[in-house]
Amino acid sequence: MKRIKNKYDLVVVGGGHAGIEASLIAQKMGINVVLVSMDTKSVGRMSCNPAIGGLAKGQMVKELDVLGGHMAMFADMCTLQSKTLNLSKGRSVWSPRSQIDKIKYEKTVQKYIKRVGLPVLKGEAVSITEKGGKIKSVVLSSGEEIFCVSAILTCGTFLNGLIHIGEKKIKAGRMGEENSIGITESLQSLGFLSGRLKTGTPPRIKRSSVDWSSGEPGFGDKKPKPLSYHTKKFIPKDEPCFAFRTNKKTHDLILKNINKSPMYSGDIDSSGPRYCPSIEDKVYKFSHNPSHILQLEPEWTNSEQIYVNGFSTSLPEDIQLKCLKSVKGLENVEFLRPGYAIEYDFFFPSQLKNTLETKKIEGLFFAGQINGTSGYEEASSQGLMAGINASLKIKKEKELRLKRNDAYIGVLIDDLVIKDTNEPYRMFTSRAEYRLQLRASNADQRLLKYSKKFNLLDEKMIKDLTKKVKKTKEVEGILNKTNIKPEDINPFLKKSGEKEINQPTKASNLLKRPKVLLKNLPKIKKIQMNNINKNFIEEILFEAETKIKYSGYINRQKEEIEKTKVYEDMIIPADFDYNEIKSISNESREKLIQILPETIGQAQRINGIRPTDISILLVYLKRWFHVKRNVNLKKK
Amino acid sequence: MDTVVACSTPFGSSALSVVRVSGPKTKSFVLSLQKNTKKIKHSSPLLSSFLDEDGVVFDEGIITVFFGPNSYTGEDLAEISCHGNPIIVDQIISLACSFGCRIAEPGEFTKRAYLSGKLDISQAEAVSSLISSRSLEGAKLTYKNLGGELSANISSAKETLISVVGEIEFNLDISEEGLQPDLFTKSSQKILLLKNKMEEALSGFKKTNILNLGASVVIAGPTNAGKSTLFNLFLEQERAIISKVPGTTRDVLQDTINLKGMPIVLKDTAGIRKTKDKIEREGINKTQKELLSADLVLFLGKKEKRKKKDNKYIYIFNKSDIKKPASGEYDIQISALHGKNIKALKNLITKKLSGGSSVSSFILTSKRQVENIGRAKEHMELALKGLSTETSLELVVEDLNSSIFYLDKITKKTTKEDILSSIFSSFCVGK
Ligand SMILES: Cc1cc2nc3c(=O)[nH]c(=O)nc-3n(C[C@H](O)[C@H](O)[C@H](O)COP(=O)(O)OP(=O)(O)OC[C@H]3O[C@@H](n4cnc5c(N)ncnc54)[C@H](O)[C@@H]3O)c2cc1C
Ligand SMILES: Nc1nc2c(ncn2[C@@H]2O[C@H](COP(=O)(O)OP(=O)(O)O)[C@@H](O)[C@H]2O)c(=O)[nH]1
Ligand SMILES: [Mg+2]
Repeated sequence: MKRIKNKYDLVVVGGGHAGIEASLIAQKMGINVVLVSMDTKSVGRMSCNPAIGGLAKGQMVKELDVLGGHMAMFADMCTLQSKTLNLSKGRSVWSPRSQIDKIKYEKTVQKYIKRVGLPVLKGEAVSITEKGGKIKSVVLSSGEEIFCVSAILTCGTFLNGLIHIGEKKIKAGRMGEENSIGITESLQSLGFLSGRLKTGTPPRIKRSSVDWSSGEPGFGDKKPKPLSYHTKKFIPKDEPCFAFRTNKKTHDLILKNINKSPMYSGDIDSSGPRYCPSIEDKVYKFSHNPSHILQLEPEWTNSEQIYVNGFSTSLPEDIQLKCLKSVKGLENVEFLRPGYAIEYDFFFPSQLKNTLETKKIEGLFFAGQINGTSGYEEASSQGLMAGINASLKIKKEKELRLKRNDAYIGVLIDDLVIKDTNEPYRMFTSRAEYRLQLRASNADQRLLKYSKKFNLLDEKMIKDLTKKVKKTKEVEGILNKTNIKPEDINPFLKKSGEKEINQPTKASNLLKRPKVLLKNLPKIKKIQMNNINKNFIEEILFEAETKIKYSGYINRQKEEIEKTKVYEDMIIPADFDYNEIKSISNESREKLIQILPETIGQAQRINGIRPTDISILLVYLKRWFHVKRNVNLKKK
Repeated sequence: MDTVVACSTPFGSSALSVVRVSGPKTKSFVLSLQKNTKKIKHSSPLLSSFLDEDGVVFDEGIITVFFGPNSYTGEDLAEISCHGNPIIVDQIISLACSFGCRIAEPGEFTKRAYLSGKLDISQAEAVSSLISSRSLEGAKLTYKNLGGELSANISSAKETLISVVGEIEFNLDISEEGLQPDLFTKSSQKILLLKNKMEEALSGFKKTNILNLGASVVIAGPTNAGKSTLFNLFLEQERAIISKVPGTTRDVLQDTINLKGMPIVLKDTAGIRKTKDKIEREGINKTQKELLSADLVLFLGKKEKRKKKDNKYIYIFNKSDIKKPASGEYDIQISALHGKNIKALKNLITKKLSGGSSVSSFILTSKRQVENIGRAKEHMELALKGLSTETSLELVVEDLNSSIFYLDKITKKTTKEDILSSIFSSFCVGK
């Protein structure tokens, strides 16, 4: 056996989506990193649904791509079909989503890791050691001790994982994989606070037991767009999903048995997510809705295993089956495995800084489901940010903090570190107050400055995207200046029932009308696309058009952002003593002490903190700084 | 925080004055001011002599101390009742200052109450409006807000908005199926109702303002019509010079009267006629200005044919004791000299001023509130407009969030969590 090198700058524990992004970016940034995972064969495994992207999540994958993450690229290589969701609604909520071949995905990831030479070590981490408040080493179950400057823990659903199938309980980290014991206890003994959460997955059924002629095939977009700017050719197979519909009989069965669902009988405590509505929730809430869609999704090309999207449930297995059988086309359905729920340990993310480094132990970072989130994209985003910041710290460089108006990833982390976690956190577009600015189609415009600053992308990509961003601005400018003659647009306006114009009008003013699109305007000669990557042209035009359409709202938001900026930049020193403040309520004080916000901006967003608390806090902070004159109120 | 002191009753001679002290030094100052006791109990009035720095008694009164946080300001607070002599009040204040207190800025007690979380902004505003309220009825309305009625009103408005946002967000954000069929009509209905409520509140403000500051009622008409006679009758005292020579009242005279609890600033003006007299002309100019800004005009003369019906005017036929009007060109007939039919006139005035309608339950008491409600209403209108097309649903949310933002400025903050809970509340039926 080869002797293991036992000293690294960075140890990443866990080969899930978080761990992969963390270790790959660190390697890209020139850090001496190792990825430790319990089972090297399951690195990159998708635990649940065979899809990447979706509402809000699609935006995050695009952001990851611009910040040097790999998920978008991997997904593009394994896409079964690709579709933009919400196309009938406003543009900022258009979200790309790809059906993924799960088996191909993990193979692709593992092959890539091998190709770039990322060191991977099979082993189970069981404890963390520290010295003087700094991380010292990660200890494996084999007894091996790996010394390090930094470590990122991404243990997913594995910490004391327990699967529930009806009454049955199985100790596991995921179906068929062992759970991990030790890390929780080790972190607790270091003073970290943990809790327990639960999440579920719907049943898997046999392809051969379904009457496919009863389902309505759903294909992807005619002109599918890749998730990654790196993807040059994107021709997914376009394997269909099939929509089946529940009916009155299904609903009656569910309502009749609803008290057997632990959610309704009160057996399950509130640790599960509210937003993955179970089929019993849907039937109960939308009682006027005579039918709900079940999407039958292949888990890989021609797979025998089919994922029943939309049928999350906590009903007992026999009733699950009975209900499914009431659906037309599923009369003879057979389970490969019923839906199940898993319960696992997580660590309250308020113990983290915005960089995902723990406040207690320097050099120790947490990322992914261990922080109480749920979802591949949420995990990857944190993995990437932890990887970048751990690397920057090792290199003694300034950290990367994304703001809420920069990216969904910024919203995610800001929410995590100041929130009470009482259910798994999943991203929604409505969590972002600047949603209109956080589009899937402008991730490059928002984030390229950071990838440039920290060298997160290769030079060629930086160059191409820089050109793209510049061109988008240029086109926007041209549209703001070019006049359109009445005779060139009136026929269209008339046809679409819009008010006609009687004098030359700025293209941008026409575009602000909901029904007018760039393609309806006469060709504007000034718009030239020489020297631009062909794959980017469509998005450039789309973005210029969108920015004009939204400009009124976006300008107002920008003013708001400008106003709150001072507070976002106002640092609260880590050793600030909240006990000094007598005039705020005990509850507020306790909240502040528990969360220890890093900035006034964060403090403002803590649930239950009132504006008056902030005014008082500001007064005391001023005094605090007055006493310690050498410290600056503003971020350096 | 330092300790502040101020006289809380109007300056000048009166039977009693109250000096307030608030802040950490309150207790020790009070102990030094009297000699009866070394122990002071919360909220229990203490009768005592007041001593100056040399231990000489200069007055006697009642001291009540409230210990923070159970006081108006949330800090230690003393109310010292002394005799209402400016010299005594000054003495107490200067003793406090030499003890290390400073004189409070205007509104500082309320500000401290606000800062220590005893009042929310709308309550704080109600206090300042209460202090300047001139009438009992106005005070009553304002008092309702102090009790939190405005906050409750805003909260319920916000709840409605949040539930609409929640429902739209559910359709944008979670449901991958099509839109809920009744989403647009249901949301529009709710917002329209709310918008009307905002409008009601805004028009109600005008009335509240009248109640608090007094309505401006201007008596106008040709010279010698009997304006000054009527004015004096109202004041029930001879103030203006009554004379048979036309054009004596060259300036605008005013005084406050009280009609059924409604404060009225009554104004007597120069008669309107062509004149060469410079001073008189100036008087007439002033009259025109008053007419423009008046809440109500008592016009001793005929309705002018050219003028459109103006709700602000009551047309009065005076001297009914000696002549009769030709036709119904007047609203009412009186005799100012003999006080005839004056009661009916008074009723007409109060009816006109209260706009006939009852006061809305949604009461605003400050310009700031009016402004924010106005902005909130504007965004509701935009949202209503946007609710007509599917593609602008996200912009509708944007506008509704702006409405919430402006309502938040009046009371407490809404967080993302409130919205999310609303999106999900419907899912938690079982819990
Ligand atoms: C049953 C189930 C249902 C789910 N349902 C959904 C859903 O409906 N929607 C959704 O968006 N998401 C769902 N998820 C969540 C999604 O799979 C996760 O959020 C995401 O995969 C988390 O990524 P991660 O990198 O944090 O952890 P994981 O993907 O769980 O990976 C953890 C990795 O760490 C390794 N590991 C753990 N402990 C140790 C240790 N001590 N030493 C070494 N290696 C270790 C494991 O071997 C594994 O490789 C579900 C997950 C499960 C299990
Ligand atoms: N008979 C009678 N005389 C009146 C009445 N009201 C006012 N006058 C007289 O009209 C004259 C002008 O009154 P004055 O109030 O000065 O009129 P002004 O110029 O409009 O202010 C005075 O002599 C009053 O006594 C009334 O009701 N009846
Ligand atoms: Mg007169």
